[in-house]
Amino acid sequence: MRHRVVGVTASLLVLSVVVLLSGSQAQPLAGEYKIGVLEPLTGPLAGEGKRHLEGFEIVRDMINERGGVMGKRLVFAVGDAPDPTAAASEANRLITREGVKIITGTFSSTLCGAASEAAARHNVIYWETSCVDPRFSKRNLKTAFRTEIDATGFGWYNVEFIAKHLAPRLNLRPNQLKIAFLSEDSSYGQGVTESARQRAKQEFGMQEVGLEYYNFRTINDFTPVIVKFKQANPDVLHHVAYNNDAILFWRQAREQSFLFKALVHAGATGYGSPDFGKAHGADANGPFALLEPGPGFRIESLRPEGRKLEQEYREAVQKRTGSYPQGGHQLAGGGLWLLKLVLDRARTDDPETFRKTVLSLDLPVGSMINGWGVKFSEVGQNANERVQHYMLQWQDGRLVTVWPEEFTTLRAKWIPLPAWGQRK
Amino acid sequence: MDSPARLGPAEIIGVLAQLGVATVLLGSIYALIAVGLTLIFGIMRVVNFAHGEFLMLGMYLAFWSFTLWSIDPWFMVVVAIPLFFLIGLLTYALVMRGIIHASHNVQIFTTVGLSIALQNLALVLWTGDYQVLRPWHAAVVVRIGSAAFNLSQVVAFAASMALTLALFAFMKWTAAGRVIRATAQDGEAATLMGIDTDRVYRVTFAIGIACVGAAGVLVSPLYAAYPTAGLQFVLLAYVVVVLGGLGDMVGALLGSLIVAGVEVVGSYFFGAAWKEVFYFVLFIAVLVFRPAGLFGQRGAEMLGA
Repeated sequence: MRHRVVGVTASLLVLSVVVLLSGSQAQPLAGEYKIGVLEPLTGPLAGEGKRHLEGFEIVRDMINERGGVMGKRLVFAVGDAPDPTAAASEANRLITREGVKIITGTFSSTLCGAASEAAARHNVIYWETSCVDPRFSKRNLKTAFRTEIDATGFGWYNVEFIAKHLAPRLNLRPNQLKIAFLSEDSSYGQGVTESARQRAKQEFGMQEVGLEYYNFRTINDFTPVIVKFKQANPDVLHHVAYNNDAILFWRQAREQSFLFKALVHAGATGYGSPDFGKAHGADANGPFALLEPGPGFRIESLRPEGRKLEQEYREAVQKRTGSYPQGGHQLAGGGLWLLKLVLDRARTDDPETFRKTVLSLDLPVGSMINGWGVKFSEVGQNANERVQHYMLQWQDGRLVTVWPEEFTTLRAKWIPLPAWGQRK
Repeated sequence: MDSPARLGPAEIIGVLAQLGVATVLLGSIYALIAVGLTLIFGIMRVVNFAHGEFLMLGMYLAFWSFTLWSIDPWFMVVVAIPLFFLIGLLTYALVMRGIIHASHNVQIFTTVGLSIALQNLALVLWTGDYQVLRPWHAAVVVRIGSAAFNLSQVVAFAASMALTLALFAFMKWTAAGRVIRATAQDGEAATLMGIDTDRVYRVTFAIGIACVGAAGVLVSPLYAAYPTAGLQFVLLAYVVVVLGGLGDMVGALLGSLIVAGVEVVGSYFFGAAWKEVFYFVLFIAVLVFRPAGLFGQRGAEMLGA
């Protein structure tokens, strides 16, 4: 009898050791799961890149507090991608040297194409959380996915806001509105602008009175554009910008008394970046930026699961940064949380199983951080109509949520914009 | 927009006045940056790819002195000139002295390396956020007729003129200026005549850096400071230097006005996306047909080569 007990105990011990050893062979990181994070941490986009990385880190900590991903602690291997060449080479390094099976990032439309191509060559999953380049989803890469809306969605939302919110408050029908388009000329600016132009003209018959593209890295003076646009006298200026150009344009428009009734932008850069408010102080009041939710957002408008998540995320950002989540935090955070959801369901990073799991997800608007829903198409793009976006306006030194009205406690002001000195 | 709207005579005059003012003010900013570069490029024959980063450092100097101690950039420029002169001397001793007689490839790689190092040093020290200072004069708009411009721009313009003419006078009418010009014409002969060429290069480089540092302070109320702020201007400065003639101060000033004019008028009539096409075509044309620059002496480009 005693021998039998010893024998059974010894067998169980051996079995346990075998199970443990086989487990550690399958996961050499011993309890950790590593993904690559690519962001521009140096170069002209570094400010936003760092904000995105901060958003990833905050959600990573939230994930680890809840048991990690696939039962393992989530860790990052970080790569710096200041330009497309670096994005591709850093993606290669993360894959070949760090051994990651998933890369996320890159924030910028100038970088996501190169990074995702490099990942696809190694059959590694590329999980984009922010770039909006419409071409991203048109390459039939089976391993590339995007959680964020694409530029056509940005353009759609902006025109929706202009036609259904601005026009009535200006006492004009949408087809009476004169609209001028100004944009930086990367795939981000062009993608948003061209889709907005198309919808504005074809669906609402708005009168396009101006169109100007420029290089955001080299623009030093907007005077010629402003002089020309003043002659066109638009009601609405649709301006898609990065940070430096938005700051410069707004200052010069003020100096030259360029009066338009509203300015509408899309994205976490330019008018959507905290840098714009810091640069102009109270003079920043007025412009709109399509973004993730800001102050004024009615969190109770979300579904219960989304409400809980959103609340927890805001508190985590507040604790870490001392301020309300900014666009960059929210895009990265919302995207990474969705990745956790997929990995937990798929229980593997095998690209085929991962892809099937992504495509099988079906969550309504309001289920996720930022109020997002989930429904990916065959090309790896989360449905624009599930990625709920909000119009924020600069009011008294901060961006606040003003539209859609069911999501906010605040109201859009200064429609039409009064003279430059009267926007306080 | 396809083409500017149809205008009456009064409106045409208004538009021309605004574009003219924009050209002069923008040109003066380019000149401010290019004057230091033309000095280094023209006298030392060194392609200093880190020139824009010294501009960026000047912008940060103005930003921090204003933010921490409320020192107006107009006052800070007086401090910046000697401070950047010292920075120039230090940079020459640590970096430039070793490469002054090296091949152009070595000079390019070294100064590009210096440029990247300075950008990343700024990123580590001050983050990538865009920093804008708002002294009282940045909000003052001056209007003459239909033309409107910023008071800070006007001061940058005046300072640019003063600096360029002062440097021109220094080079033309002082003994030190003659020594520098002699070294630029023939370094070997200058050495044989007893000129300490190393000292000439050191001082020349320091003056060039002092100029661009002062430029950084003066443009700080107009443009945001961030680690790669210099890149926005440095390519333009090269176009200006080649256009104006290597080492020619007044040429740099006129070259700046031409580049700004091409940019402003081209942007107005053809669109902002075209501006670089126009001035780089002009740049190539000058290199092909008049390599010494529009205002430089024929053969000047070969000196010291």
